[in-house]
Amino acid sequence: MMGSVLAAPPPPAASPAPLLPRGFGLLLFPPPPATGSRPQREAKNVLPNPGEFEQCHQKCKEVFPTQVNGVRLVLNKTLSKHFQVNHSLQLSSTEDSGYKFGTMFVGSGQAGPAEFYPVLVGDVDGSGSLNAQVIHQVTDRIRSKVAFQTHQQTFVTWKADAEFRGEDFTAAVAFTNPDVLDDSGVVVTHYLQSVTPTLAMGGQLVYQRRPGDEATFMSLVGRYTGSNFVGALTLGWAGVQASYYHRASDQLQLGVELEAGSFWQDSSVTFGYQLDVPKASLQFKGVISSNWVVGATLEKKLLPLPLSLVLCSFLNHQKNKFHCGFGVMIR
Amino acid sequence: MMSGSNAKGSFPSRVSEWISSTYRFATDRNDFRRNLLVNLGLFAAGVWVARNLSDFDLMSPQPVT
Repeated sequence: MMGSVLAAPPPPAASPAPLLPRGFGLLLFPPPPATGSRPQREAKNVLPNPGEFEQCHQKCKEVFPTQVNGVRLVLNKTLSKHFQVNHSLQLSSTEDSGYKFGTMFVGSGQAGPAEFYPVLVGDVDGSGSLNAQVIHQVTDRIRSKVAFQTHQQTFVTWKADAEFRGEDFTAAVAFTNPDVLDDSGVVVTHYLQSVTPTLAMGGQLVYQRRPGDEATFMSLVGRYTGSNFVGALTLGWAGVQASYYHRASDQLQLGVELEAGSFWQDSSVTFGYQLDVPKASLQFKGVISSNWVVGATLEKKLLPLPLSLVLCSFLNHQKNKFHCGFGVMIR
Repeated sequence: MMSGSNAKGSFPSRVSEWISSTYRFATDRNDFRRNLLVNLGLFAAGVWVARNLSDFDLMSPQPVT
């Protein structure tokens, strides 16, 4: 969804800086070590921050198209450089149809070139189900996030996490659905360390507790970043995930992903590509997977109108199912 | 002569049998290890394709024929 024109919040016209809060931007390649006045020996020892743990496979996943079913109409309205609202209407025969109202507030604090805080994002549908997130930069190195999700009047998910960004490492801890009365909850801890300027390694520990039962899962992750490619590998008790992202040119990006789960005794490979033609205001994404699924999305900005058109189609040969979608986004 | 013609006649059938057995091997989803092996090969092939697709320019002028 991050790479989709339909999902990305557009920047307001009056703001001098792009209105992209932290967590909604793309993962950047690590900057080269500083040179110049710094001594060469110190420059070699400087390791960049590896970024967030969840972003290791994100570069590859952003290449794959997002399936749109039915008809979707999205209207974004920027009320000020801090506040914008959006109206979303979806009509579909396979998913729930309905209307959603969403808002986003971005504060005045700035943590980086495209990172502003605090950020409050939320949307509510016609039945009263709410999705909300609050992202705040507590200090220069500590970022916190609180998220809620309700289904009508029932809380489905409540989550709080904190992330600490060191010079060359990132550590985070998250509490999901903690329930003191029911003695249940999930605790997730991440740690990602830059070993070299291009190699980052880390791990994740998940502790899940339910009444009368508890379990622990651990996984290791490694990510290698080249000049125009990113390879990542996650090994865990639940399975293996490997991804490879390659920027072939300014127009073409490719991604390959392998997922193998020991729980479901299944594996799959997905190959996707993204074509960007800025002169034509066009973006095309295609995907083919070993599950006999072929899909593509076409996004076209209808300049000079403030409209974006999205066409999507997915075909599952194995299940003999075909889904197509059409979307219009008004900025 | 008879053995030679039999050998020639059986060669296309052996090729078709080999193709059929390869197709069954690649599409049999009941064996997890077999699926994983096939998908590992597909992943390696995908990485090779991704690394070798570099000369792609949609806006380049078309060659004059």
